[in-house]
Amino acid sequence: MEILKDIEIIDLALYLKKHKAIIISDVHLGYEEDLNKKGVLAPLNQFKDTMKKLEKILKNKKLNYFIINGDLKHEFGIISRTEWKNVSALLDFLKQHSKNIILIEGNHDITLDIIAKKKNLELANNFSLDDIYIAHGDKIPKDENFKKAKIIITGHEHPAISISDDTRTEKYKCFLKGKYKNKTLIVTPAFNVLTIGTDILKNKLLSPFLQQNLSNFDIFIVQDKVYNFGKVKNIT
Amino acid sequence: MLVYKKEPDESHFVEDLLSPTVKKWFFSKFKEFSLPQLYGVSEIHKRQNILVSAPTGATKTLTAFLSILNELVDSAEKGILEDKVYAIYVSPLKALSNDIQKNLIGPLQEIEKIANKKLGIKVSVRTGDTTASERQKMLKEVPHILITTPESLAIMLSSIKFRESLRQVDWCIIDEIHALAENKRGVHLSLSLERLQHLSQGITRVGLSATISPLEEIAKFLVGNDKPCKIVDIQFLKQLDLKVISPSPKLIDETFALTQHNLYQLIDSLIQEHKTTLIFTNTRAGTERVVHHLKTKFPSKYTENIGAHHGSLSKSQRLHVEESLRQGKLKAVVCSTSLELGIDIGYIDLVILLGSPKSVARALQRTGRSGHQLHATTKGRIIVLDRDDLVENAVLLKSAIEKKIDKIHIPTNCLDVLAQQIYGMAIDQVWQEKDLFNLIKKSYCYKDLSYKDFNEILSYLAGEFTTLEDRYIFAKIWRNEGSIGKRGKMARVISLTNIGTIPEQTGVQVKIGDQVIGVLDESFTEKLNKGDVFVLGGNTYEFKFSRGMVAQVRASPEKSPTVPSWFSEMLPLSFDLAQEIGKFRYLLEQKFTSQKSKEEIIKFINEYLYVDENAASSIYEYFKEQFDYIKEIPNNKKIIIEHYIDENKKKKIIFHTLFGRRVNDCLSRAVAFAISRIEHKSVEIGINDNGFYVSHSKPLNIMKAFKAIKSTELRKVLELAIEKTEVFKRRFRHCAARSLMILRTYKGKRKRVGKQQVSSMILIAALKRISDDFSILKEAKREVLEDLMDIENTIKIMKEIEDKKIEIKELHTTIPSPFAFNLVLQGSLDILKMEDRTEFLRRMHQKLLAQIES
Repeated sequence: MEILKDIEIIDLALYLKKHKAIIISDVHLGYEEDLNKKGVLAPLNQFKDTMKKLEKILKNKKLNYFIINGDLKHEFGIISRTEWKNVSALLDFLKQHSKNIILIEGNHDITLDIIAKKKNLELANNFSLDDIYIAHGDKIPKDENFKKAKIIITGHEHPAISISDDTRTEKYKCFLKGKYKNKTLIVTPAFNVLTIGTDILKNKLLSPFLQQNLSNFDIFIVQDKVYNFGKVKNIT
Repeated sequence: MLVYKKEPDESHFVEDLLSPTVKKWFFSKFKEFSLPQLYGVSEIHKRQNILVSAPTGATKTLTAFLSILNELVDSAEKGILEDKVYAIYVSPLKALSNDIQKNLIGPLQEIEKIANKKLGIKVSVRTGDTTASERQKMLKEVPHILITTPESLAIMLSSIKFRESLRQVDWCIIDEIHALAENKRGVHLSLSLERLQHLSQGITRVGLSATISPLEEIAKFLVGNDKPCKIVDIQFLKQLDLKVISPSPKLIDETFALTQHNLYQLIDSLIQEHKTTLIFTNTRAGTERVVHHLKTKFPSKYTENIGAHHGSLSKSQRLHVEESLRQGKLKAVVCSTSLELGIDIGYIDLVILLGSPKSVARALQRTGRSGHQLHATTKGRIIVLDRDDLVENAVLLKSAIEKKIDKIHIPTNCLDVLAQQIYGMAIDQVWQEKDLFNLIKKSYCYKDLSYKDFNEILSYLAGEFTTLEDRYIFAKIWRNEGSIGKRGKMARVISLTNIGTIPEQTGVQVKIGDQVIGVLDESFTEKLNKGDVFVLGGNTYEFKFSRGMVAQVRASPEKSPTVPSWFSEMLPLSFDLAQEIGKFRYLLEQKFTSQKSKEEIIKFINEYLYVDENAASSIYEYFKEQFDYIKEIPNNKKIIIEHYIDENKKKKIIFHTLFGRRVNDCLSRAVAFAISRIEHKSVEIGINDNGFYVSHSKPLNIMKAFKAIKSTELRKVLELAIEKTEVFKRRFRHCAARSLMILRTYKGKRKRVGKQQVSSMILIAALKRISDDFSILKEAKREVLEDLMDIENTIKIMKEIEDKKIEIKELHTTIPSPFAFNLVLQGSLDILKMEDRTEFLRRMHQKLLAQIES
């Protein structure tokens, strides 16, 4: 489904048609391993499931750019061998489908530079394609590209929304589309297959881009397919 | 092999068992042996397993210890006292342990005085509060009598050094066994006892219990399978002065304010007429409210002389209240349920039960706190505030007077506790799986454990649910050719720091900014939506948002609540008592249909229920209103299904099923599940002890749905029905923690409940991928269906419906019938989700599109 002209939602990823670019954010690989380290014996499914999702999205696609918009890894600190192996395998897989891999730094990505170096990839604070500016979204950028940009794409918030009828409430991952100052803002949901995310109606939001009235934001829920739920104000 | 001891021993026979010193001490303190002592002392002396059931204050504790003290003193005087633990005393309460120490150390000092020399008998307390240095001291100087809790006993069993002192224990006393047998703490203890017996083969088990039924089950719980046990039943030793009273004669047509005014007048006059009064309110909030109102309404009477006691208060606050009670400084103490167990609280001459105790056993245990001397009269007053309460407690009173005590439920085959204990045992030694299985099966709680379930727990502990490659993370034990043993250097630490079965407190902090307003049940806040207004501590607040375990609210005194107050702390009505009420309803319906006169019926109520004429006539009026309105009185042989439409045009279907909420929990979910399967929509349900309702926006063929449920399929249906509920998720988290799948303490850090909650959602999803029957999922379902709810009796009811022993009638009313009032006043309890997430989303999307088009 198109969220904006030439920008399509494919599962939890955004596809920029003109640039042949895919953007995902907040994969949080190693989430279960982190739980394991904290004494929760969650079996390890995340890597397998993430790869499956990526395979589906990338099937028959030849990309110019694959943009990982922050928080590829869940926790900083010591990384186990399996975790190294997984991150490396994921990047190798992406390389087969895309000419360029863009790694954008998120707030969790302290050790990413070592991975980037090893894989010969560059780590950036942000990335621009024409008038589209892509950054993680944990802070408001000040650079020239940002000032010039008409479309901003961020992650970080893990947006989700609760849908209720009079008896039941369920939470779903969603894309948000609205305005930041005079620019169009798109917020991508977390590519993390384990958690849903932050309820934008119930919970306090973290991203500085979203410290505003969201009632005119458009909601695109992703479940078996994409559902356009219209404006936030119509949902509450 | 269970034998009731029918007659007490002769006094001189017991006397002859005592050594001269102990005999001299005993009669310097007491005139004669108490009845429990005449029954119990010789049996314990002969090393017979024994269960003594007697009311509080009936010198049970000294009965248990007298033989043991006798033996120790005798050995000490002869100079043959060994350096070992002779007796272990296990109590569910940490506070009680201190109590006993006082009651043991005092007598020992007195005995030493009589013997005129140091006897060197050591008594030590080991609980969660014992410091590391005290524990070290205990290793060097092994106590002869060890006082502990179930959890600390399990810890000692797994500690390398201390377990050596547990190899020749002669006696193990379990105090307040009635309070342990009905929950997982007891299940855990039952395995610890088998582990202890594995070390000390010849151990004698002594159980002490307050009023409870059936005693045979408790005795089996105490000794395990295939061991003999003597039972002493002197539960009804005390005279019973029990009455049901109400603050207003009619219990209806009065304003809330007036009822409240009358209530506190009544409580005040009762307190003033007695020396010391103990009040049970069932809930923490209730406790605070009563103390607050007494202090504000009677500021000159109640100041420092009234105390509150409940689980949310700090330990020092509670100890202070207990101490003041013992010293006779308090006129009244108000508690939730916390003073039910036998800590010595000094002289109480009246117990007030504000709100129904919901079971005969509990009523007797609570009122038994008064008249603490053996032959004193127990004086209890149950205050009722509405007509359902009146009927319920009048029947309860009848059962109590006629000595019909409701049966307790002992949880069995708990796989989470099993996992935790097997891990502990694997740390002690390498086991043959076969031997391990046999040892576990000795516990009454695991007598029916299947080898399959046992094997699945071993498989879980060995990490066999993951790939070989990942197993090093998950395996807690190794398995090899029928043997098992511990794995990893951290095993002992992990096991010892995570022992126990009591779930973490799951309160959500309610805040305005940084200011903490109070704590709410997690299950309550889960349901709140932005803008919802609710009551907390007497004030109204509007919910803003929640993050983790904090809910942010704003004060909104001008708004009325939109969410009903929460019932989670409510005790469920016991099934047996519910059946008695059903029987009474049946008898009254007979009277009404055979057109007996008002006088005749009131006289019948008056005699049948042991209530005064006022109460009898209130009950008469209540039943008459019901009968006049729909010509039916639902009872134990007739279920009424009543349709009506509420003020919001919502169709409600009320089921008059007076079986207690544990059964109604099952029944209602089965019905809702059948409806949602036929209609393919979510259904809202509300439950109380007297019935349940389902509400729906479209007409329903309820009889068809009701008849679609078969007793033989009930378990399967309910397993599906509960899977998506909040209560299942919460119970799963507890089970995962008990099975050590979520470690509450790891690497010295304690995990917050909020974090456990997120983790448990991920765990449920992952385990379901392995199997819907994965042991821990299975246990969570069992716990919900068997312990929280009551599937066993539900099946019994379903069978009676199938066999036409219970008839079902359906009717329509414009306003709900009198018996339905309390039920419809209460908010919804749960929602049965039928559609999966995707289907629900699709439907909501369609609805949205339709809205936009119109």
